[in-house]
Amino acid sequence: MRAESFIVDTDVHNAIGKLKDLLPYLPKVWHQQWLESGIGVHGQYYSPVGVLRQDAVPDGGGVPGSDPRFVLKHYMEPNGIDYAILTGGGEQGISLHADPDYANAVASAFNDWLADNWLGVSPKFKGSIQINHSDPAAAAKEIDRMGQHPAMVQVVMGSGARMPYGNRFYHPIYEAAERNGLPVAIHPGTEGKGIAGAPTPSGYPTRYMEWHNILPANFMTHINSLVCEGVFEKYPKLKLVSIEGGIAWLPHLMWRMDKNYKALRDSTPWLKRLPSEYIVDHVRVTTQPIEEPAKPEHLLQIFQMMHADKIAMFSSDYPHWDFDNPKVVLNGLPRELKRRILGLNAAELYGFPMLDEQKEAELA
Amino acid sequence: MRVKVAEPDALSEGGKLIVKVKEMEIGLFRVGGRYYAWRNVCPHAAAPVCLGAVRGTRLPSAVYDYQYGMDNEVLRCPWHGWEFDLKSGRHLAAGSQAKLRGFPVEADDTGVYVVVGDGS
Repeated sequence: MRAESFIVDTDVHNAIGKLKDLLPYLPKVWHQQWLESGIGVHGQYYSPVGVLRQDAVPDGGGVPGSDPRFVLKHYMEPNGIDYAILTGGGEQGISLHADPDYANAVASAFNDWLADNWLGVSPKFKGSIQINHSDPAAAAKEIDRMGQHPAMVQVVMGSGARMPYGNRFYHPIYEAAERNGLPVAIHPGTEGKGIAGAPTPSGYPTRYMEWHNILPANFMTHINSLVCEGVFEKYPKLKLVSIEGGIAWLPHLMWRMDKNYKALRDSTPWLKRLPSEYIVDHVRVTTQPIEEPAKPEHLLQIFQMMHADKIAMFSSDYPHWDFDNPKVVLNGLPRELKRRILGLNAAELYGFPMLDEQKEAELA
Repeated sequence: MRVKVAEPDALSEGGKLIVKVKEMEIGLFRVGGRYYAWRNVCPHAAAPVCLGAVRGTRLPSAVYDYQYGMDNEVLRCPWHGWEFDLKSGRHLAAGSQAKLRGFPVEADDTGVYVVVGDGS
């Protein structure tokens, strides 16, 4: 394999095919509720193209992303994907269920189901530990329970929340993640659902497109909060993966935070560096849905402003509708930057063998 | 060039005086028994920085730990709130290279003097 084509897809969605598939992993006491209500956390935005790619239905039928062998055959093998970080799907909404006991049980069941049905199918599949972020003590236990599974490479939680993620309420999650050497990823889609607040500080966008456009505002909220609350001072080994929340806004946020810090540092005396430095060291952002400016060179300039050579990681979002094609999405970027974004940054974050031998063979 | 800017007892501990030397405004401060003279122009956005409050601040600390210190040793710009160490002139924000422009001060029984370069 040529090192240039080493690709880690940092956002591939896997799904359960049928509700009953989860039953072997869920305590009997929750079976009826699961079969009758499922995740039970709903949104209200209608997408005219749906959420799933129409061409990604497995050979035997069923939900796109529900058959690991089909994901390999349909997407990963033809595109030369070396590793796929599985981020799950609708179960990310479980944190916004009103009942934390149900949510904890369902999150655990998904993790065991993932380990049994996906992670052993191919070493290319790497898992994300689902947690119920509304119950941080239980989430920390779940991270400890699953954290040493060799194919679990991060913790994931939906970005829809009741308060910004830097808040001390959530710190047990970060402590557990750091203890287990796992990054914490946040993923959009749950904004405005269940017990979360409205998707924006001014309430509810009217339609799916409007809601989807403004999801990055919530990511700005969380990253801003994580830095200002000193999470990366308190947990210096912690990494945060910002999945599918957009990228072009990052330079703005970094500059605004640095500017305000210079005036208001006494309100966050625990910060020992400029806020933007914490972002570059501790935050990683995934590329899909990549911004598509009329002049592509503008995106390159933004990549340079945000240190993308260090912090940006390719993602496709397969099999969702707004999928980015790895064969074309980074075309036009300088070769070394493209290599970093396609695979090297993720390999460093997740500790994948990015194969020094492979690199050497390539250079020989 | 040595310019007399105040009588010996004009400034008490913690006091501040805005003086003019060679058409240049300078803030004269007395901190910890010593005098400091800083040009009245903030290096950030040219505000009259010496008109800001003299106070203490929260010292670098662990997360959620609050340590008050540098009492009456911090000048806070009246426009954007940048904090400067009155003794060193340094901007207190980590990662910032900004610094106030200062002048030597000499004091004796005859008065307080600011030393400015002849080209200043």
